Amino acid sequence: MKRLWLAICVLVAFGAVSLFADIDPNKEVVPGVKRGDTIIIEDPTPGAAFSNPDSFNRWSCWAGGGGGWSYGIQQLGLDTLWFIDPDAGIPRPGVSAKDQVWHNSLAAAKPIYNKDYTQMTAKLRKGILWSDGVEFTSADVKYTVETLAQNPTMIFGSSFKVSIKSVETPDKYTVVFNLNSPNSRFHRNFTVRWQGCFIMPKHVWEKEVKKPGDAITYNFNPPVTLGAYVLKDYDKQGKWYLWERRADWNKTTIADFGMPVPKYAMYLTDLPNDKKVIMQLSHDLDMVHEVTPEGMVQLAKSKNNTNWFQGFPFGHPDPTLISILMNNARDPFDKADVRWALALATDVVKAAMGSYNGAVQISAILYPPTGTSRKYYFDPMQTFLKNFTIDAGKAGKIKPYDTTIAQKIADAARPQFGDQVPKDPNRIAGMIGQGWWKYDPKAAAALLEKNGFTQKGGKWYKPNGEQFKIILQNQGPDRPILQRLTTTIAELWTNFGIETTAIYSQDDGTNRNLGNFDGYVFWNIETWGGHPDMSYFIEALHSKFFTPVGEVHNGPNPIRYKNAEQDRIIDDILKTDFDSQKNINLGIEWLKLMVKDMPEIPLFAYNVFVSQDNTYWTGYPNYDKPYANPVTNWTNGRYIFTQLKQMLPPKK
Amino acid sequence: MSIRGVLGKSFFKYLAQRVGQCVLVVFIGITLTFLLPRLAPTNPIEMKIDQMMTGPMRVYPEAVASFRQAMYDLYGLKGGLGEQYIATWARFFRGDLGPSLTTYPRPVSHLIWRAMPWTIGLLLTTAILSWLAGNLLGGLAGYHSDKRWTKWVELTANCIRPIPYYIFAFVLLIVFCFLVPIFPSSDAYDRGVKEGLNLRFMVSVLYHTFLPALSLVITGVGGWLLGMRALVSNIVSEDYVQYAEFAGVRKGTILGKYVMRNALLPQLTGLGMGLGTIFSGALITEYVFGIPGIGLISYRAIVSFDYSLIMGISMFSIVGVSVSVLIVDLLYPFFAPRVRLQ
Amino acid sequence: MRKAFSGLWKTSGYFRFGIVSISFAVLMFVLSFFSPYKPMESFVVPANLPPSLAHLFGTTSRGQDLFWQMTVALRNSLLFGAVTAALSRVIAIWVGMYAGYRGGLIDKAMMAVNDSFIILPVLPILLLVQFLVREKMNWFYMASMLALLGWPYDARLIRAQVLSLKERIFSETAVFCGMPTGRIIIKEHLPYVMPIIFATTINNFLWSIGLEVTLSILGLTNINNASIGVVIFWANQHQALISGTWWWLAAPVGITVFVFAGLYLLAVALNEYIDPRTRLSMKAVAA
Repeated sequence: MKRLWLAICVLVAFGAVSLFADIDPNKEVVPGVKRGDTIIIEDPTPGAAFSNPDSFNRWSCWAGGGGGWSYGIQQLGLDTLWFIDPDAGIPRPGVSAKDQVWHNSLAAAKPIYNKDYTQMTAKLRKGILWSDGVEFTSADVKYTVETLAQNPTMIFGSSFKVSIKSVETPDKYTVVFNLNSPNSRFHRNFTVRWQGCFIMPKHVWEKEVKKPGDAITYNFNPPVTLGAYVLKDYDKQGKWYLWERRADWNKTTIADFGMPVPKYAMYLTDLPNDKKVIMQLSHDLDMVHEVTPEGMVQLAKSKNNTNWFQGFPFGHPDPTLISILMNNARDPFDKADVRWALALATDVVKAAMGSYNGAVQISAILYPPTGTSRKYYFDPMQTFLKNFTIDAGKAGKIKPYDTTIAQKIADAARPQFGDQVPKDPNRIAGMIGQGWWKYDPKAAAALLEKNGFTQKGGKWYKPNGEQFKIILQNQGPDRPILQRLTTTIAELWTNFGIETTAIYSQDDGTNRNLGNFDGYVFWNIETWGGHPDMSYFIEALHSKFFTPVGEVHNGPNPIRYKNAEQDRIIDDILKTDFDSQKNINLGIEWLKLMVKDMPEIPLFAYNVFVSQDNTYWTGYPNYDKPYANPVTNWTNGRYIFTQLKQMLPPKK
Repeated sequence: MSIRGVLGKSFFKYLAQRVGQCVLVVFIGITLTFLLPRLAPTNPIEMKIDQMMTGPMRVYPEAVASFRQAMYDLYGLKGGLGEQYIATWARFFRGDLGPSLTTYPRPVSHLIWRAMPWTIGLLLTTAILSWLAGNLLGGLAGYHSDKRWTKWVELTANCIRPIPYYIFAFVLLIVFCFLVPIFPSSDAYDRGVKEGLNLRFMVSVLYHTFLPALSLVITGVGGWLLGMRALVSNIVSEDYVQYAEFAGVRKGTILGKYVMRNALLPQLTGLGMGLGTIFSGALITEYVFGIPGIGLISYRAIVSFDYSLIMGISMFSIVGVSVSVLIVDLLYPFFAPRVRLQ
Repeated sequence: MRKAFSGLWKTSGYFRFGIVSISFAVLMFVLSFFSPYKPMESFVVPANLPPSLAHLFGTTSRGQDLFWQMTVALRNSLLFGAVTAALSRVIAIWVGMYAGYRGGLIDKAMMAVNDSFIILPVLPILLLVQFLVREKMNWFYMASMLALLGWPYDARLIRAQVLSLKERIFSETAVFCGMPTGRIIIKEHLPYVMPIIFATTINNFLWSIGLEVTLSILGLTNINNASIGVVIFWANQHQALISGTWWWLAAPVGITVFVFAGLYLLAVALNEYIDPRTRLSMKAVAA
């Protein structure tokens, strides 16, 4: 009887939705713009609609939705020197697989450094036009850098002020940056991985911006674009932005990959979770940025749906590593044994089920298992991991690496996802991961005892007699999956005997940055994705950027970890060429050190349940054709438009 | 009901009292809303830094320090608590509510201005509608208290009254947006419709705000209904009503001219006070149905620790509510002879 | 007592419904101590099962048995409401009666403060405080906060009643006869004040639970402590609406409506009984 009820409710919901869903390429999205010509995309920035919808000043931190820039301006309107793809990149004739991830966008070639990395030269492309017909030249780059350096509250402003001595433009297509101190990775500032320093049109800005403060409040409305699209219209409340492809799109850098297919692109902001799902089910939303696992399951039932894995585990793994951060400056987390004990007391299968319902990519090392990282890091390290041994006191010497974990997760997920969960072990390894640390409470207990901890009545006590309690923080309802994960881990550790409470601080990271935490479920390791260079995150782990607890740290080291060996590796990396094999080898050295010390417990890639509807457009990237990152807010997403196919062209 | 009769010495004493109280309330309220957000361990600047410092930008501590300093200057948050407090009052008397910290430099007044029409429109109409409907039904129910249908009306009102508003609104949402999808579940108007005085826009707004309005009216009616009914049932037993009935005056006239007229007075006071609370915005309604009114903005302001915005909205609503209550209190003696004598 | 009960039962439909509702709430309360699972522990039963004999209310996406979870949730919510109501009664009675009896400047001052509190917008203030002290917030603090915000309206009612009682002839007689003020208050006046206190208690009880539910749904309370609002919060987190686990929302919403409406109707029935005028008319009907 209850099942019947359920069926009726679901049928009514679906039935009603499909009744309201009409597939009509001729219906107008806004007057004059037809659905069949428009791709409708979700902009996930929360609260976008209440902030500064009229501002297209991408360099001010208050533009758009109070700091949101993903309503099309960065994806379609702006450009910079180089792009690195978070996945594999679009195959191009004459370009090797390794180089596919790199695109010389506004630059004509890779960055050129002098011997001691105090000067970087960028050669620019010729014939790229702004949307008002003016040519892009080195004067624009110089103007951008100088304007930003004068305004430390603008993005990149304060770091340019500190790092750049001067910018010279010997000719229209060459820019020379003179740096204040050696920096072999200075080009990072102009290389897009989610964002980069975009270039401003000098001829437009200098008319409105007379004194330094003006640049902060200048609206840049309507924006003069360097990308393949211009702004056509937008909602004054900030709910949607409509972009139109430029007639001279072939004078922009995206033309290297062909014409961006959709004539119009509309970004919708501030969509609540339920509404997103319903809109996509009724074919009114083509690209969804992220839904919960439950929403994904519903969307996947629709026959026009595509997602990254075309089935379980659905989500696209972002090159960001979710881990349990531990405060290495606080007792007892300053002991490697205690940190390892916590790792061994974490049943990662349960953690995976409690957060992503099993749809995860696990990582045993401090590197997100995404993009091309398997090839560069995971595969070469398997032997080391399998042989890695810990001295677990009374429990003896153990080898904690467990290669059956992925299989266990697949089995746990099968009741819910049925046949979509692969059975082939190779596919499981590819989709879920190659292994993690064994769930070994006995060894964990032995490690604690080895360090003076005692167990009374099922609860653990520190060597000084205090009960071992942990407060595990996370960031609350804006990151619901991390919240579930934190609650699950808190339960697991409490069952092990360490009383753990999961709380969340809606403080956007202040506690983390100040070091006011025992444990924090978050991420500090983000990588390029496609390119194996670690400089994206590793440079600021050096002890010269270390700040003690109580002083704010705005970098990747909120865990306050210091290690001389790590410093040495980082110094070496920064002296090594960006593209070399030596660079990768140094990275592997660092990863091995992290395994020994376990300063934080790595868990999963940040999975984004991206979903697309193929009724009007098709050709999105996926696991078998990973030519781009399907999330909608990364600037890198612009490449997708060149690979799509229009399914329902409207009547002329 | 002569005005001269009211404006005696005692009235001015009363006036002074009420105005004084209004000022006191405003002062306390504004001080509280100044202090409370600043007691938080975090502040909007740290949040902005966290947002901005990703990837290659976060490497230089001097850069971060420079950014932080510049932000403090920009936001006017430098100087001690005392300085900021005085500056706040200075701005208040100039009528300037300050810049919003999350949407700098857009002033708070601009955000409030944009959101107010939604809140006022929704709450004003529903307050008046539920007051009218509630009093009418309550009056009829109280007068015809022996009939069967009054029992049903009372029962419904009594059942709806104790339910937390969120639950009620949520159930409406589930039923009419998901189970039987007639209404849209969020936003004040359809995307793709341009804001402005055109028919398409207005129809879209009505379509989107029908459900939230309905939820407010239904939950609001109950209180007025029961209150009116109680008042009426007291009045019904009064001598002059009984006399009118014996004298054969039409029931409708008795209800309208004799009974309701006298019962309306306390209800009017209630309405006055209720209208004052419009300024606080129906936070939950706007949250559940996604209406971009004052309530939703204050929620967002609190979530992002935007001191200025929180202060601005609070100032606005405290002043608004206090002044409305003051006006109601001052007008009361003109309508209620009995009160005047005290 | 028994006569009153049976009288009410016979005459008042509200009373009958209220008693049924209270019995249900008490039953759930008692059952909560026998729950075989720890209330918020996840993955102890298979997830997403619809209601059946094995799981009366079904199971959640986090692998929890909803029936047993609701017993604890209801218990926590009821306790919370009771504590808040009790605390705010104390404040309201004290303020109302003291202001009413003292009169004069003290009365005016207290009423000024009282009115300021009435005007305060409760929800935004709670939101703000919750954000500030979330980590240290436990339900006792929250109950205290709500008590601090919930007394003004009732204090005024009590004061009004006290004022009118003071004027009455029997009070003046008692004073004239030399009865000490304390005895007057307790023996003569309290019986008149009690009905108001009682009526406002139930209202306050429901109001505070309602606020707790609202705050929990917004995710602002300790979401690891089971309460009705917390259950709805997690259901929304897991998108129960979309994923078809309708029982996860139906149970807490249904129970809330049932228990709240029942309690309120019970209060209405009892109020009518206590008020001498209506009781007489009820007796007439019963006879």
